[in-house]
Amino acid sequence: MAEKPEPVKVLYCGVCGLPAEYCEFGPDFEKCKPWLIQNAPNLYPQLVNDLKEVDGVSDQLRVSGITEATGPSGSSAPKQEPAKRLPGGKTKKKDKQEVIIEKVTRNKRKSITTLKGLDLFGVKLSDASKKLGKKFATGASVVKGPTEKDQIDVQGDIAYDIVEFITDTWPDVPETAIYFIEDGKKVPAV
Amino acid sequence: MFKKFTADEVSGQNQVKASVQRKIRQSIADEYPGLELVLDDLLPKKSPLIVAKCQNHLNLVVVNNVPLFFNIRDGPYMPTLRLLHQYPTIMKKLQVDRGAIKFVLAGANIMCPGLTSPGGILDEEVGADTPVAIMAEGKEHALAIGFTKMSAKDIKSINKGIGVDNMHYLNDGLWKMERLD
Repeated sequence: MAEKPEPVKVLYCGVCGLPAEYCEFGPDFEKCKPWLIQNAPNLYPQLVNDLKEVDGVSDQLRVSGITEATGPSGSSAPKQEPAKRLPGGKTKKKDKQEVIIEKVTRNKRKSITTLKGLDLFGVKLSDASKKLGKKFATGASVVKGPTEKDQIDVQGDIAYDIVEFITDTWPDVPETAIYFIEDGKKVPAV
Repeated sequence: MFKKFTADEVSGQNQVKASVQRKIRQSIADEYPGLELVLDDLLPKKSPLIVAKCQNHLNLVVVNNVPLFFNIRDGPYMPTLRLLHQYPTIMKKLQVDRGAIKFVLAGANIMCPGLTSPGGILDEEVGADTPVAIMAEGKEHALAIGFTKMSAKDIKSINKGIGVDNMHYLNDGLWKMERLD
């Protein structure tokens, strides 16, 4: 094998995301059908035949057949969007503007308070960490994850003063958007 | 395994240091000789290699936010189905009959009779505890990635119970996670 093997292009169903040939085992074959008829007629000859048969019957049936045929395909375009958003839906949930405060204990009696989500309010994290450090007279740093999940770590337990400080310093951040994490549960600060 | 897998289960992701990166590359290259030529494209030396740690001792190898491989504890690296679809020749293949497809796609382990029936194909060379691609009767692409519990010969002779553990299948959590960020 001296040549570079080319990646095989696989036809994925536009509706359910599976390879087209597996649509019949997918979550919703009925919804995939119009897409399949258009994009992969050779995979499911049965479907195309069914459609033709419907066309061939008496006028009344034909009308209903066509409306049936166009109905789902016409509505499949808007339907596709929510389906497509689903994988992105999770990210959208996370983009919800909220500040999450969590206290992490280390060495039994020392703790670190982490602040997540301030950047969603258009706050510059480096500025914020400086202000926090100054206010609480402790070390505060921006911790960068490998992805874009930056957070601020502040040394010491400042969980209760911090809400007031945040709302005072950045009026854009409503008090209702601040949450604590206590015992793994999200608790609103107010 | 990935039945209810979501991005929430990623407990931490790190950009791994160069030596670990080399090790991962090496073990993938050893495992899948067919990938050798494209490995540079898949895991570019320049771009950072991220390993996402998840629950149950699961690791995902992520490049440019796309999960490419996964392994459990120190087990062998296995490609994700999207990657396997692109390079179908890299893994040994077992084929199940048509009746088994819907169960496999629901996450069931692969039972021996599904592999030994007329619709199934057994690669005699497959030993126990090896990752394999699960193909299906009359289908072109793989529908799952499995980890054999017994060798192909045993599957044939015993013909009962679980032959291959289902690791990753179409439309499971990992399949739906096209990008990880």
